Amino acid sequence: MIGRLRTQALETSKFITDWMEHRTGIVTMLEHFLYEPVPKRGAWLYTLGSATLFCITLQFLTGILLLFYYVPTVDHAWDSINYIMNEAYFGTLIRGIHYWSANFLLVVIGLHMAQVFFSGGYKSPRELNWVVGVVLLLLVIVLAFTGYLLRWDQDGFWASVVGIKIGSYSPFVGGQVTHFLIGGDVVGPATISRFFAIHVWLLPAALAPFIGIHLYLLRRHGVFGSEFEYSDRLAKLHERQRLESYERYEEEEGEPYVGRRDRADRE
Amino acid sequence: MAELQKDPITRKDFLGFGVLGAIVGAILTIPPAAFVLGPIIDIDARGQSDVPDDWFEVGSISDIPEREPQVFEVNFPVEQVYGQKESQVVSDSEFAVPNAIWVSWKAPILERGRQGSLGDILDEESPRRPAFLDEWNGEPLTQEQIGEVTENLNVLSSSCAHLGCPVRWTEGKRLFLCPCHGGLYDINGGWFGGPPPRGLYRYTYEVREDGNIYVKHEFDVGGAQGPQAPYVI
Repeated sequence: MIGRLRTQALETSKFITDWMEHRTGIVTMLEHFLYEPVPKRGAWLYTLGSATLFCITLQFLTGILLLFYYVPTVDHAWDSINYIMNEAYFGTLIRGIHYWSANFLLVVIGLHMAQVFFSGGYKSPRELNWVVGVVLLLLVIVLAFTGYLLRWDQDGFWASVVGIKIGSYSPFVGGQVTHFLIGGDVVGPATISRFFAIHVWLLPAALAPFIGIHLYLLRRHGVFGSEFEYSDRLAKLHERQRLESYERYEEEEGEPYVGRRDRADRE
Repeated sequence: MAELQKDPITRKDFLGFGVLGAIVGAILTIPPAAFVLGPIIDIDARGQSDVPDDWFEVGSISDIPEREPQVFEVNFPVEQVYGQKESQVVSDSEFAVPNAIWVSWKAPILERGRQGSLGDILDEESPRRPAFLDEWNGEPLTQEQIGEVTENLNVLSSSCAHLGCPVRWTEGKRLFLCPCHGGLYDINGGWFGGPPPRGLYRYTYEVREDGNIYVKHEFDVGGAQGPQAPYVI
């Protein structure tokens, strides 16, 4: 009985999978996106990119949920967050995930960039992907900055004032940058509207295509240091070191290098 | 490419397409650009401000102690988005920026300091408060008294000249301290230490016959520059 049910379930799932694959190609696509060869050494370090993407996905999902209650006006912003934290079901959890994954995101991005940098993953032909990654980092930093003001509490207000003042030191266009950001010459209703528009619409809209480009370029060139590439480069390095040691020997001893065994025979 | 070369574009067509492209491009880009950059056009090009060009009451000169600064709160109304006067007919929600303003009597400077190296050396002993205030009962001030008071007042913004954090008075050190990056100012608002590139900003102010101080939402930076609109707050 159980065996027959199991067979039926397997057949049904296979039918659904084949049906979907035939019409959308989703199985092939998933296989293509999910499986990527990575070097054996330090394989866990290669999950940092996926961890970054996971944090960004969390930001999108929890951000959408927060929009159901958040009101971007000077007289309601703080109150709406207070409501989310104290009245809305699981509000503390949803906002907590949004807040902490934002913090964690910056840490993970830092680690991801360090891993790429120290493994030489920015070198040809992956330079462009490094540049795209830096653009993504800048977008995430501005996202974090603009999100700070939306709380409309003392912390967020003064941190934003400081950030905007830093912008005012930009050469030639300092004043214009400030006025653009705050939507006037003082922080007020226009400021929170602008920061909201930038945080919720403009930057996520810019972030999404750059993530796409980043992933596309990753797929195109593969992860740097795949086993073949790694061992090939190591072999070249060892060969170069070997030749250099011969040259050193010749310079120091004044006679051509002839291997250890040959030397023993000769002596 | 080869196909395109078989059908070369004439100069007339090229110019026509260029002009048409420029017109269409302008139609598509100017409205959204002006929409988003509106504040820059209003403030930097047209010289407008979100805060009305009025005088706002700070407080009475009799509340300022001899050797300590006194903080006053002034609410500058902000006419911005739904804070516009027109919409207040249907909505009472006027937004105001509460600004802390530090007012003190000027301490005489014994020796001028140098920005970034040494603060002014102040005379902490001699009296600063005009003598007539000891017996003043609130009667209208004469022009001489107004002149004397105006000459001896510091009306300072609480925003640090470095990055805008609000400064606070520390009694023990007798200095204004910025909590963000440690900027220090003396009681006159002069630079004393830390990263600020200058002293505290001074408001444009006046003293009236009723003995109250009034300020405009602008800083008097002195010299030929005229008043400077405050950034950010």
